[in-house]
Amino acid sequence: MADLAELSTGVQNRAETRAPTRSAVLADLRRLLPAVDDIHSTLPFGLPALDSHLPRGGLARGALHEVVPATEGTLPAAFGFVIAVLANLRPSGPLIFILPAYGRRDQGHLCRYVSGHGLSSLGLDPARVTLVETAHRKDSLWAVAEALHSGVPLAVAAAIDRLDLRTSQKLHLAANDSGRPLFLIRPAPPLEASAAATRWRVGVAEAARDRFGLIAHPRWHLQLERCRNGRPGEWKVEYDHVTHRFSLAAALADHALPRSPNARARKQAGGS
Amino acid sequence: MDPDRPFVLVVAASGGLHIAALNAAAQDHGLAVGETLADARAKAEGLQGDLQVRPLDAAADDAALRRVALWATRYTPTASPWSRDLWDEENGADGFFLDIEGAAHLFGGEDKLLADLAARLKDFGLPARLAVAATPGAAWALSHFHASPLFVLPSGDEASALADLPVDALRLQPDIRGSLRRLGFKTVGALLDKPRAPFAARFAAQLLRRVDQALGLCDEPLVPIVAPPVYHSLHYLLEPIMTQEAVIARTDRLMQTLANVLARDDAGARALRLCLYRVDGAVETVDIGLTLPTRNVAHVVRLFDLKLAALAATHDTGFGSGFGAEFGYEAIGLAITCAEPMPARQIEISSADLSDDALGPTNGDAAERYAALIDTLRGRLGTQGVRRFEPVESYIPERAEILTADGDEKASSEDLRAEDLHAEDLHAEEAAWPLADERSRPLLLLPQAEPTEVTALVPDGPPRRFSWRGVTYYIAGSQGPERIGAEWWRTPYGQTRPTRDYYLVEDFSGHRFWLYREGLYGRETTNARWYVHGLFA
Repeated sequence: MADLAELSTGVQNRAETRAPTRSAVLADLRRLLPAVDDIHSTLPFGLPALDSHLPRGGLARGALHEVVPATEGTLPAAFGFVIAVLANLRPSGPLIFILPAYGRRDQGHLCRYVSGHGLSSLGLDPARVTLVETAHRKDSLWAVAEALHSGVPLAVAAAIDRLDLRTSQKLHLAANDSGRPLFLIRPAPPLEASAAATRWRVGVAEAARDRFGLIAHPRWHLQLERCRNGRPGEWKVEYDHVTHRFSLAAALADHALPRSPNARARKQAGGS
Repeated sequence: MDPDRPFVLVVAASGGLHIAALNAAAQDHGLAVGETLADARAKAEGLQGDLQVRPLDAAADDAALRRVALWATRYTPTASPWSRDLWDEENGADGFFLDIEGAAHLFGGEDKLLADLAARLKDFGLPARLAVAATPGAAWALSHFHASPLFVLPSGDEASALADLPVDALRLQPDIRGSLRRLGFKTVGALLDKPRAPFAARFAAQLLRRVDQALGLCDEPLVPIVAPPVYHSLHYLLEPIMTQEAVIARTDRLMQTLANVLARDDAGARALRLCLYRVDGAVETVDIGLTLPTRNVAHVVRLFDLKLAALAATHDTGFGSGFGAEFGYEAIGLAITCAEPMPARQIEISSADLSDDALGPTNGDAAERYAALIDTLRGRLGTQGVRRFEPVESYIPERAEILTADGDEKASSEDLRAEDLHAEDLHAEEAAWPLADERSRPLLLLPQAEPTEVTALVPDGPPRRFSWRGVTYYIAGSQGPERIGAEWWRTPYGQTRPTRDYYLVEDFSGHRFWLYREGLYGRETTNARWYVHGLFA
């Protein structure tokens, strides 16, 4: 009993001696309430299969995410996947794309290819986008850091051909400090090691068709190649640009009806 | 060429070559401006072989004068060189006016300013005659005809000071001067006390206008060499500075001065010019533009820093090695060349702003911060490096949008100040982005459609197979055509452009392309060509 009394006075004494400063209280609250933080720091796909697979129920906001086309020909799909994720961002706000005007043919001239109407077709309002063209990799990295540091854009997307581990760590930290997601579109493999939180490999898949056999929604073959604190995974998703919604592609058998007249041609194509 | 020996510049005019300019040695031999070269040679027999003659290069003269006038903006922003097109040749294009009203006290008075200017010009090797007067006309007359090369005329004494000077002091055309002389008017004073009406009747309006201008009875506007800035601030340095850091530190202080003035006037800067006055008399200027009016010192200084770094990189000289390095800068001027109203706003104070002092542009609202970012990016990447998509009213895909660097004020406000946007709906009606479900457009549109080899079952049917960039794609499904006619109102009369039939095609692995066939089969062409125009995500 005496021990207990002593203990309680001890607690009182401690409370009196340590006048809680504002920052200390905030730090305590942050430590106690990680869950609250998480809700605002992730970027869910709205697709349970993907979200439950990712460590915090979605893509981390203040982090570096790499998106890699599975082959060189799937660069549009990789870029489209980034656009779809960005179109999903809430609340709506300005976005910055930093694209190179140098380098190899497709990746290099991405900035000249991107079409505002195309963005609009994927459900992203082109008026939100500021396109930054850079003539050197150094400029790209500087612009990315600058955009993140300013805290203005809701997200930054950039295409960068080469990136060493240290630079990727710096970019990841910059994204982390700003709390903004940074999407890097990287050239087709092979790739160097990087500090990215996730790395997605995007391949093409046959588009979803409506009941008239018309192309309704794009489909992508997503491979979560690397995921910090998570497991890799593989999905085939389709994206509805009107409702900004990802969904898992239906079973392949559905294709049969509109495709049947072409079965022979497909065999030929596979053979050649 | 030896500057100590007689030297003349000649210009071809009626009656042969005339002397347009000469040096002191030539003057000692009795030569004068306006004589023909033949007369001069005859007059100064002794220097027959010694006289150095060169043709006059008017353009180089003007350029040199401009350079000196630009340098003289270190005294006052309004420097007005005497140009040949404003003045007739006889009056010369060999000097400039400085409007030192309100600037003289910075140098301790007009006498001191004049002495300083004379000393510096002498150091450049330019023997100059200087005069200060209340009117440009009187200053011109005194600088040319007063006995002393440095003279300050108290305001109000113009008439008495000019009275003894010859009529040449009035900047008149040669024929008017000639007839005045024939009529016996030797001095300006002789003209001043005569009735005006006979002069007005006999001479061109120029005579009386020049008299009035000299006496300050009518205005004489000066044409400044550079547009006078709205706000201006200048630092003279005791010791020349050479490094970029030092220049930036000075700029920071100049901008702080200007920011206070701007805040007083509820204005913000849209364009600024940094003038670096080199010790050797050259002036280097650095201009920056801003997306939104600003008074933010840190932001402006940062932009100048970026710009200087970019200049150093492109000139491949930099502060360390090349320009300005040998000499350094002796004065730095910061001018606001374009200012716009900017109402005072309550600065949002949040913990983020307080903790992040170094960032500078964080305080203020989102639009301002956005503009600050755009300015920063443009500081390094150029104005064309940062652009936005703008829709254009057209069905031709490559014409339906442009990337634009201007109109950012409107554009940047779109996402950030949505409620204000409705006031600007007029513009939005011209062209707007289609709704997402309206029509399908490829994410990547090739700037130039690329020809492709296509196999189709029927000439006007959908494609079955095509090859592009060395790869053959077998088409699993196609959708179309979407027919887009040429814009006849853009083609010259009598010509037609072929219609395009667009197909969205998908190959067996899932790559999606946008192809078009140019020309309607059977109507416009018998051999339609195919192009790849876009790539779908």
